[in-house]
Amino acid sequence: MLELQPKPQFSVVVPPKLLQEGYLVTFSSDWPSTHVAIREKTFRIDVCNQVPYDLPYIIPTGDYRDVDFSNGAGTFQESIYPENLTSLFEVLVGFKPGNFLTHWYIPAGKSIHALEYAQMYPDLTSTKKKYLGARQPKDSPYNDPRIKLYFVKDLAPLIMRVFVLPGVDYENCITGLTINKCKLREIESPTDEQKLKAKVIRYYDYLRW
Amino acid sequence: MPSQVDTAKITPTLLAIAQRENAAVLAKSLTIDNLNGGGDRIIEIDDIFTPAVTNGVAVPVPTTVERFKYTANQGDQITLGEVELKGVRCLGAMSVISDVDDTSCFISLGYEHEE
Repeated sequence: MLELQPKPQFSVVVPPKLLQEGYLVTFSSDWPSTHVAIREKTFRIDVCNQVPYDLPYIIPTGDYRDVDFSNGAGTFQESIYPENLTSLFEVLVGFKPGNFLTHWYIPAGKSIHALEYAQMYPDLTSTKKKYLGARQPKDSPYNDPRIKLYFVKDLAPLIMRVFVLPGVDYENCITGLTINKCKLREIESPTDEQKLKAKVIRYYDYLRW
Repeated sequence: MPSQVDTAKITPTLLAIAQRENAAVLAKSLTIDNLNGGGDRIIEIDDIFTPAVTNGVAVPVPTTVERFKYTANQGDQITLGEVELKGVRCLGAMSVISDVDDTSCFISLGYEHEE
């Protein structure tokens, strides 16, 4: 028997997960005046360089560590932020499997995932609300990360609170980062088409209203 | 799957799989050859690490957690495979120790790093 495989009618193109050279980015108008160098401006990405970085922490049950992505020599600071005004760091975050969860704060103490009713914010002392807004390893696996962060110079500290759930004595909470270092070149007068094509990067406050 | 072999020792020497910070170590097989050993031997797999600084503990201390224990009778040779060792996972260094030094009791350990 002879079978002729029909020609496919279409093919699926999966876009790259990370920003690439030549891509355009625009920083929206909701960035504060402290970020005047990028606010409401459009840039072309001239160079990209992906830097993998694993952050492992062995934490006892019921305890947590505040992983601070900002720069500095503090015990919890990981110094992942850019130091140049013309750099944008796009960071993919994935977790190896484990008995832990993460909560996210920016700036420190201000949860990204609070709801609107009073006291509906993540609370590690509450048996229920410790799961409110929690990102678990299955939500962003190490080999298929789904959490993406954008860092620019002098951004407020972003805190990832890594909490080990009951049921184990200790857990090795391994966070895999891929830091896509992007060198930006400003487009002084972007065309409408360029503005339309550019990826819009908004200030974190838009997540809270 | 890498493996190591040594005689039964109270303190881990050869049979200590170094900690790889970004991967746990899984025990895959453990063979205890106590055919000519001097007596019954209690064999342990220990997990040795220093936890991270956390919000609760500012100065963590080196910690040993016992993950597995088995008594190998004198005159026996036993091989434990993945089924018996399922769940034996060390976060830090994996070390195999005996309750008594015995140069006639041989221990082989097969292990893998969790990817």
